[in-house]
Amino acid sequence: MNAPAKQPDADIRELSYSEAIREAMGLALERDERVVLMGEDIGVYGGAFQVTGDLVERFGADRVMDTPISELGGAGVAVGAALTGLRPIYEFQFSDFAALAMEQIVNQAAKMRYMLGGEASVPVVFRMPAGSGTGAAAQHSQSFEAWFGHVPGLKVVQPSTPEDAKGLLLAALEDPDPVVMFEHKLLYKMKGHVPEGWYTTQIGKSAIRRHGKDVTIVASAIMVHRALAAAEKLAGEGIEAEIIDLRSVRPIDGETIIGSVRKTGRLLCVYEGVRTLGIGAEISAMIAESEAFDFLDAPVLRLGGAEAPIPYNPDLEKAAVPQIPDIEAAARRLARREV
Amino acid sequence: MPTEVILPKVDMDMDAGLLAQWHVAIGDHVEKGAALFDIETDKAAMEVEAPASGIVGHIVAEAGSRIPVGQVVAWIYAENEKIPDLPPGGAISGDTGAAEADAEPQAGSRKEVAEVPQPTAPAARDSDEAGTENHSGDPRPRATPAARAAARKSGVDLGRVAGSGPKGRIQADDVARLQPVAAGPSTAEAGLSESAPPVDWAENQRPLAMTRRKGRAKGYPVLLIHGFAADAAGWAPLEKALGDEREIIRIELPCHGRSPLVRTGSFREFTRMAVRAFDDLDVEQLHLVGHSLGGAVAAAIADIRPRRIASLSLISPAGLGPEIDGATLHGIARATRTDSLAPWLKRLGADPDAISHDFAKAAMMARMEPELRAAQVELAGILFPDGTQSFDLSAAMARVEAPFKIVWGRQDRILPWRHALRAPDVAGLHLLDKAGHIPHIERPEAVALPLLENFRTGEVPAYQR
Repeated sequence: MNAPAKQPDADIRELSYSEAIREAMGLALERDERVVLMGEDIGVYGGAFQVTGDLVERFGADRVMDTPISELGGAGVAVGAALTGLRPIYEFQFSDFAALAMEQIVNQAAKMRYMLGGEASVPVVFRMPAGSGTGAAAQHSQSFEAWFGHVPGLKVVQPSTPEDAKGLLLAALEDPDPVVMFEHKLLYKMKGHVPEGWYTTQIGKSAIRRHGKDVTIVASAIMVHRALAAAEKLAGEGIEAEIIDLRSVRPIDGETIIGSVRKTGRLLCVYEGVRTLGIGAEISAMIAESEAFDFLDAPVLRLGGAEAPIPYNPDLEKAAVPQIPDIEAAARRLARREV
Repeated sequence: MPTEVILPKVDMDMDAGLLAQWHVAIGDHVEKGAALFDIETDKAAMEVEAPASGIVGHIVAEAGSRIPVGQVVAWIYAENEKIPDLPPGGAISGDTGAAEADAEPQAGSRKEVAEVPQPTAPAARDSDEAGTENHSGDPRPRATPAARAAARKSGVDLGRVAGSGPKGRIQADDVARLQPVAAGPSTAEAGLSESAPPVDWAENQRPLAMTRRKGRAKGYPVLLIHGFAADAAGWAPLEKALGDEREIIRIELPCHGRSPLVRTGSFREFTRMAVRAFDDLDVEQLHLVGHSLGGAVAAAIADIRPRRIASLSLISPAGLGPEIDGATLHGIARATRTDSLAPWLKRLGADPDAISHDFAKAAMMARMEPELRAAQVELAGILFPDGTQSFDLSAAMARVEAPFKIVWGRQDRILPWRHALRAPDVAGLHLLDKAGHIPHIERPEAVALPLLENFRTGEVPAYQR
């Protein structure tokens, strides 16, 4: 899988998505002594997906802390640490387990600034390995972006490239409020150009990964890459799809999406979370309410996860979330005005 | 959901109309198609019919007020529907657009409030009933938001647009095709670049488009058949002059207006389609009125179905001699823009200056569909080969027994009025001064006078005449 929009080049340094995240955390630990990492097995073991890797050797167990097998406890410690001046990054082994820590994330971290009249802030980052495709079945494969996107007080980001993974994590660390970062597990090994040093990717700003005039496809995380592959095939048929990488679920970048739909008149939303009441519903409604409405020349389509738990059977697991042929077919139907 | 009644767009260049009179009051029960109110524009006056059956729950526009096209004027509720105290969305007035300031970009709140529903000419609703365009029975044409926005901007009547999307949905480019090129390349360039598109001839026998206006009093309905390259809209001035006593029925000929593009090999075939439409009418007796080519068609119908004809009135009819201004017919059929259409239109009337640029623009607007133009060019070649009328109706006219009048303009440059002298002795001739080939548009009152006389005679039983 290639990095979108950028071709590998001899002079351009390439890192994998997980290496990029590790580099960001390393930079942060070096630069700011308030930064601490917390999570289950992130120390000697290197993290469930080996993202923290050797950081414990470089920075010691005081700053890269293994926490007990209690997400509620761990997340609570992270929120408390953030309240009292630290800059913790708490890693969930699987984003599914965040369900155990909802109280700390939703009722504490997200509310504190508001309920204390701006006197306190909770600068915590929650890292959440998410998504299906690893054969980890129903309790380890879900996509909860829309859940957290529903909570005012949280920011929710979903990087799709190594460059953005590093840039968004550093932006999250600089943010004075809690940020939830969803990392798609299938992206960890993806390589791409990653700039050296400290840089941030603006939270709340999406990216146009491919320009086109016929149909707008808004996708997030792994779906960006599937949409790009579909667009490549469609281009052979003369259908030019514009691919928008959502990057940020909350706040959502209405301006870019509305501008694109004004141009193409057709919108397809692709996301891995369950289709109903998901990100695509929000984007569709946003377009219906916007001045882009007058430019719509076809119904808005959504491709999302099946209305079912993610199956263990590999074939069914694939069938449960949008794949390249699904995106290709839906975009083609839109462009050919078959819907 | 109550059905909204809007002020329809009945003229191409109209953006507001005078709501002259209400025919119903709040609480009245109305049938779909019943007259709701009268509107008057600069050009025409007409009745607007109920888009649905039910109870008139709210009337939100007063008689005598000028209303923007598309604004809701009333709400019709279903029989068992609860009628709220206030109309849906409150009392809608025309100036809500400035109420809200611009909010954040995605909110678009101004639009929500200000945008009025897409105007739909009542003619389009009629055509729904006739089953010519929409089969769904939807009160509005099926169209995408982009198509509606484009139609609003350009004044295109969506009821006239053939949709290319699923279920006949009108897409943005369907509307774009109908928009006249305002400041495009020069006429010469366009002439070179624009070749006639292949016509997608209708294969199935879709019926001809027919629209009706209810009459206020008794009397037989009047059936109007327009001329070559015209359509039902051209009758508006005469309809006004004829008054509202009798029902008006307008048929659109094949390859004209909203009727299907059916390929024709001869005048006989062409007429057969009109006869079929005539046979489909659930009317015992009617007054038949035809202009030019429509006059020849009317004469043919009167010959084939004499018992259903109460009277026959022909305005500058074809079929009475070989001469015809073929150059003008082809010029009109071919024209792709106002600039090339206007000079030919000026030959239609006695006074060339009477054809304003706006008139020509509106005429061009109705002819923006390239396929329609191509179909009419071919039709002209079949009916009028080498600039000659290929058919002769003088024998048919001689057999007419109903009251029969012919009205002709003395300055007609398309069909010479002297053809009228070949009419049979039963026909009364009315030769109008200061009128060219379109006296029903140039001097509608002068045409209406003999026509009304003809109608009255036709409504008297034959044994009493």
